[in-house]
Amino acid sequence: MEHDGYDPLILAFCCNWCSYAGADLAGVSRQQYPTNVRIIRVMCSGMVHPNLVINALTKGADGVIMCGCHPGDCHYIDGNLKAQKRADAIFLMLEDFGLERERFRLEWVSASEGIKFAEVMRQFTEEVQKLGPSPYKA
Amino acid sequence: MVARVAQEWFAICGGCEVTILDIGEPLIELLEKINIVHMPVLMDHKLYGQTGEGTAMEIPEAEVGIITGGVRNEEHRHLAKEMRKKCKVLIAMGTCACSGGIPALGNLSLKDEILKKVYEESVTTDKGVAPSVDIPPLTDRVYAISEVVPVDVSLPGCPSTPEMVTEALTALLTGTAFALPTKSVCDDCPTIREKKAVSGLKRNLQAPEFTVGRPLKEMRCLMEQGILCLGPATRTGCGGSEGTPRCIRAYQPCEGCFGPISEKANPMVDMMGALSTVGLDPKNVADRAATFNRFSGAGRLRPLPKR
Repeated sequence: MEHDGYDPLILAFCCNWCSYAGADLAGVSRQQYPTNVRIIRVMCSGMVHPNLVINALTKGADGVIMCGCHPGDCHYIDGNLKAQKRADAIFLMLEDFGLERERFRLEWVSASEGIKFAEVMRQFTEEVQKLGPSPYKA
Repeated sequence: MVARVAQEWFAICGGCEVTILDIGEPLIELLEKINIVHMPVLMDHKLYGQTGEGTAMEIPEAEVGIITGGVRNEEHRHLAKEMRKKCKVLIAMGTCACSGGIPALGNLSLKDEILKKVYEESVTTDKGVAPSVDIPPLTDRVYAISEVVPVDVSLPGCPSTPEMVTEALTALLTGTAFALPTKSVCDDCPTIREKKAVSGLKRNLQAPEFTVGRPLKEMRCLMEQGILCLGPATRTGCGGSEGTPRCIRAYQPCEGCFGPISEKANPMVDMMGALSTVGLDPKNVADRAATFNRFSGAGRLRPLPKR
């Protein structure tokens, strides 16, 4: 999705039980989504420490998206609710680091939502493309 | 053998030099082993030669070089490189040299904004022009010494403790190892911690609750009393051989002067975590970026992008 010489780099933290399976489904059902997205599989969205997100955004990534199971569907009962609480803290940190709020997003994607996964990634990539490169990219 | 010592100061208040004096009696013993060849605060040794005959700023050869203060202008940058070239071992002394210190809070604003504010917009100043002739130009931001040249030993603290300075100098002179602690101030703090705040965040400088004359281990953790303490994200070591951190000894919260626990640590994220762990809301902290990075702005603070 290159545009004006800027090709955003996007990290996606996907939980093992829902979103990663959703991404897999998007793949096997041949849904197209931008190649800017690099998926990192984590056991639960609740284990993504704010440090990981801030580090990514200050060290080369232009956007970070965190995907977990829908509330109530978490394999670990309440991991995704923890992720939501962490997301609130992450938004606060983005503000303090001088990063745009839109560079981070939390989305719920279940294992059966391959189409939604591709759609979310398309939207997010477009949005980050519009924002331009992260101010931390020297 | 007597070791030659060269010392230079950059963007700094001069407190670190006072610390050297504050070493006290051990200083007498130490002075027999060193020969100070360059130290602007003590002696009249000029950079361009004693009669100004030189063409470039020069620093005499030395075994040990001590730099205090961060790099704020091009002269500092040049001298930092010169010190590195002429000294076998380079010590960054004080938090300003190690991680920017208080001057690095200026990294939250652009250089031109600062000049404009100071010389043109400040309400108490008659509008003037920023000086530009015969003075070294400012660098774009405040740099720690290690961002400009490699540093062998870092002695953080605002100021460093006399004990630590003696220890480091003695270690260098005798060839033994010197390392900074890698734990946080909380690890050395004797107060009672129950991981639960008993009050919301209080205003700065509100007095904590404690009984005068009773030992510190009977006082509740200051953070849990609602007093913002930077202990969780700050390197310990200020207590020296006594252990208990300096500010805590005075019933005051840690100000964070030893800088982050490691070079790569991110005090802002660490502090947000520490606040939420005890149930305090980081949203209530005023000016979070500056507060959490009070002494570690070089390379960590930057102006917020304009939208």
